[in-house]
Amino acid sequence: MKIDCHMHVKGRRRSWGWGDNDKIIDAADRLGIDKLCCSIPITSGMPTPAEVQERNDDVLEAMKRYPGRILGYCFVNPGYRKEAIAEIERCVIKHEMMGIKLYNQYKCSDPAVYPVVEEAIELKIPILEHAGYVSDPAQAARQPKISHAGDFVKLAAEYPEAMLIEAHIGGGGDWEWGIKTLRHSPSVYLDTSGSVIDEGMIEMAVRELGAERLLFGTDMTMEGGVGKVTGARITESQREDIFWKNMAAILERREQS
Amino acid sequence: MIIDVNAYLGHWPFRQLRHNTATGLLKLMDENGIDKAMVSSINAIFYKNSHSGNEELATEIKMHRDRLIPSATLNPEYPGWKDDLKQCHEDFGMSGLRLFPHYHNYTLGKGKSLDMIRDATNRGMFVSVPIRVVDRRQRHWLDNVSDLSISDIEQAMRECPEASFIILNSGGFHNTKLVRDEKLRSGNFLIEISRMSVVLQEAIPRLMEVLGPEKLAFGTGMPFKYPAPALLKMQVLKAPEEVKEKILWQNAARMLK
Repeated sequence: MKIDCHMHVKGRRRSWGWGDNDKIIDAADRLGIDKLCCSIPITSGMPTPAEVQERNDDVLEAMKRYPGRILGYCFVNPGYRKEAIAEIERCVIKHEMMGIKLYNQYKCSDPAVYPVVEEAIELKIPILEHAGYVSDPAQAARQPKISHAGDFVKLAAEYPEAMLIEAHIGGGGDWEWGIKTLRHSPSVYLDTSGSVIDEGMIEMAVRELGAERLLFGTDMTMEGGVGKVTGARITESQREDIFWKNMAAILERREQS
Repeated sequence: MIIDVNAYLGHWPFRQLRHNTATGLLKLMDENGIDKAMVSSINAIFYKNSHSGNEELATEIKMHRDRLIPSATLNPEYPGWKDDLKQCHEDFGMSGLRLFPHYHNYTLGKGKSLDMIRDATNRGMFVSVPIRVVDRRQRHWLDNVSDLSISDIEQAMRECPEASFIILNSGGFHNTKLVRDEKLRSGNFLIEISRMSVVLQEAIPRLMEVLGPEKLAFGTGMPFKYPAPALLKMQVLKAPEEVKEKILWQNAARMLK
């Protein structure tokens, strides 16, 4: 059993490098991934509520097309507070999306994000936030408001009851820095996705944070996402936790409410 | 049979590596069913006199020559490289040359670099070139080295059409001259697969279509990277066994003749 906590679907205005979303299901079938939690974030600028809604509608379309396989995150821009909350309620309450996706419009510790976090707590859903501690200055300059582990620590201190997921340990930033920074913030989960498949990454995360805080993800690096978890020197029980049990427990909180 | 064309031994100054001794790497290979690996010295990337790294490598793998296939790492801008290459080939039995132009601050397709490539080719050695060693986004503050461009390799291939190249750690070849230019395409080169996908973006199947499976080679990036993702790609690749055999070892073995 595998639940991919960090994946994307193609939309009308967002292509990720594959032709049709059938390719996702084909990839998942070949790699034994049962469910994929997907979003279509807008990855630059300050998207308007209309732009955000269009992306979420495309995710809803994919959820309808592949029921039970594609689950949806509602992407919002916290800068439009009232509209963001209304969009979350539309997507989660009316259309049964499973979580909220935030990108780099604000650092997650910015008070502008707080109403979204409070809504997530109310609805018992997780927030997956794009993240990375990018040590290359040129790369970092491209995303001045990308959140890093230190921002998650601050937010978790404000809202310890929130289910926060720091995205892609292998997303290209200094993953050792990220893991060590999260040590003392037990409410923050870390997702294992990203194109970096450095040997020892998963073992260090298990050692420092515990397998119960790690969630399997691909973020479109499909074989790498699965392979880094299967290849890690951890116990089978820890692998099961990472591959699906931890995420299943997160999803159950909303289902049981 | 599996031959990994992209493996290393030694110490990386910016992150602790595991399995980076001959016995450590062999154990990792055994656990993953990898029979042989083409290795080079990581230390040789950083020593001013790279050849010291080659000497260390020769000693390190002396008892394991049946499984570890060494490549020399030399800097064509550093004095004595001709003698060092001769020793690597004639005394140490090294069958390849692995080059790091950005770390050694020279251009692959110009000047003394071409002299060295020609010298190696005259000796029957293949030339492997990693596009990158680590992901730039997580680089150490002292590691200010950017990725090599495919066009750098194309230039060297044009200048040395008789040479045999293995391109390592490359992310994609879409729209490169290497796949569009018929003359370059028919050259003697292999592309290693560790940063490309079989499913979803389907970079590997698309390259197979354009170049044929004779141009691809299995590689992992051990001990920097987990070997499991590369193995998983071969598992999920929809191709006849005889085609997979070419990628898994036959194409690499051809370079050793």
